[in-house]
Amino acid sequence: MKVFHYVNFVFIFLFIIAICVLEDVAVNNSLNQVKRDCYEIEQVLATSENINSMEMSLLVDNLEYNWTNNESTLCYMVNHKSIQEIGTEISKMKSYVGNNDIDALKVSISSIKYYADNYLHFMGANVHNIL
Amino acid sequence: MLTIVVRSIIIYIIVLLVFRLMGKRQIGQMQPFELVLTLIIADLATIPMAEVSVPVLHGIIPLLTLSVLHFILTLLTKTSTTFSKVVSGKPVIIINPKGLDQNAMKQLNLTIDDILSALRGCGYFSISQVQYAIMETNGKVSVLPKAEYSPATNGGLKIEEEESFIPITLVSEGKLMKENVALANMDMEKVLKIIKQQGGDKLKQVLILTVDKAGQSYIQFMKGEGKSFECEVKS
Repeated sequence: MKVFHYVNFVFIFLFIIAICVLEDVAVNNSLNQVKRDCYEIEQVLATSENINSMEMSLLVDNLEYNWTNNESTLCYMVNHKSIQEIGTEISKMKSYVGNNDIDALKVSISSIKYYADNYLHFMGANVHNIL
Repeated sequence: MLTIVVRSIIIYIIVLLVFRLMGKRQIGQMQPFELVLTLIIADLATIPMAEVSVPVLHGIIPLLTLSVLHFILTLLTKTSTTFSKVVSGKPVIIINPKGLDQNAMKQLNLTIDDILSALRGCGYFSISQVQYAIMETNGKVSVLPKAEYSPATNGGLKIEEEESFIPITLVSEGKLMKENVALANMDMEKVLKIIKQQGGDKLKQVLILTVDKAGQSYIQFMKGEGKSFECEVKS
């Protein structure tokens, strides 16, 4: 029985460690993916003057798809009210692409990158968050 | 709403598990660190229950972390007396044969009223009745009365008494307690025989039937008064 008691606590301890590692990996992967997708959009944006194109729509759709998938995983670990800004910004981007509003799209991409950096900061394990 | 119901069930199970792992101590017997843990757990459990945007894991992980921390603290207090003294404190004598120990009272922030109240709780209404009173680490007061106020015991009065036995419940609310029946070296037939001897007919009619190893038994039917009787028990 005593051994069982010890095993319980070792199991719980390992479970906690596993969750912490999983959270860190999921957060880093998701937000880095967002930044990569934004970088791809920025590259296309730099070379073309008309953003109401199939290529741009596909890139924004890809960003939306990746974020939706990652967001649902992150919601298991963080308060999902705290990470909703990226989703809102992506839906705005879709209308900017349709209206060929390059400036607004640039602002949206900057905002998403800013949010991604911010999320990485507040979700990550660092001294600021601990204290 | 369904989300809140499911979340509440999950958190309840986790809290139950954590308390089971903590052990069977009751509120009054808690050491200071256990009391702190209980208060934090109560607060932690409510947040993810009611706040749907907070992941359940935000409730579960702190609960499990605290249970592991508690386990480690308990282990350390068991293995190290010094650590135990730091975390739980040590028992302090507040009344000695010379009277109240004022230094101890200052150290524990105790007033005379607190001590008198604790003594009354132990059945002593005057400090003059008390030889020693010790404030335990869990906040309870243990009292050693003066010889003339000590309760009389059979040993003290040199009276020889037979050892008493713990009554075993054989039937409770019409249900046969199979493990207890085996413990009393009996079987179903023997129990039914006893019930019939006492005027009953079926198991379901019995509210309670107990027997101890000396054969002292007690039965109460669902409709009726309880009565004591003796029966034969194999040892």
